[in-house]
Amino acid sequence: MKKLGAELITVSTDTKFVHLAWQRHEKQLHDVTYPMGADPTGHLSRLFGVYDGMSGLALRGTFLISPEGLLLNSEINYYNLGRNIEELIRKLKANIYLSRKKNEACPSKWKDEGDKTLIPTAAMVGRVHEALNQ
Amino acid sequence: MAGNSDGIEIGKKVPDFEIDIFDPTKGDFGKIELQSLKTQNKWTILFFYPADFTFV
Repeated sequence: MKKLGAELITVSTDTKFVHLAWQRHEKQLHDVTYPMGADPTGHLSRLFGVYDGMSGLALRGTFLISPEGLLLNSEINYYNLGRNIEELIRKLKANIYLSRKKNEACPSKWKDEGDKTLIPTAAMVGRVHEALNQ
Repeated sequence: MAGNSDGIEIGKKVPDFEIDIFDPTKGDFGKIELQSLKTQNKWTILFFYPADFTFV
């Protein structure tokens, strides 16, 4: 993510002190380099609509914000479903690409720069299959 | 559950925020401001999860 010019911040409603204790204790986290955000009041979680008032916890929400400060992507999973990091990287790469190529669109199978994109025009209406396979 | 009135619409501006952090690379506490990341021309990904000491 850093190489792509992105800052990933993990956020839970734990305090920064608990983040420290968890990162030091849990061997799975010893190589973690992402800043661990502390949102004990739920302020940020509420702002993004992931705060669960019944539990005081945040749902598994992922939000992509452009350098201009626009929210370009959001995904919210319930507690029991993990996220696919490859798909997150795909979305980040696509948004970076599209910020330079404003008249193009990245189809579902787009993975990286150089892959086929679409340029939505009147000629493509009803002919997406041909546009994707030409 | 999270209320429907919460949340920011896709394509809309995210209000500036700041958040306390623990930075594992420094082993120290700090703060991150969205405004500062924007100034550095960075993309920001917020990755919410329910709780420490569980799986993420």
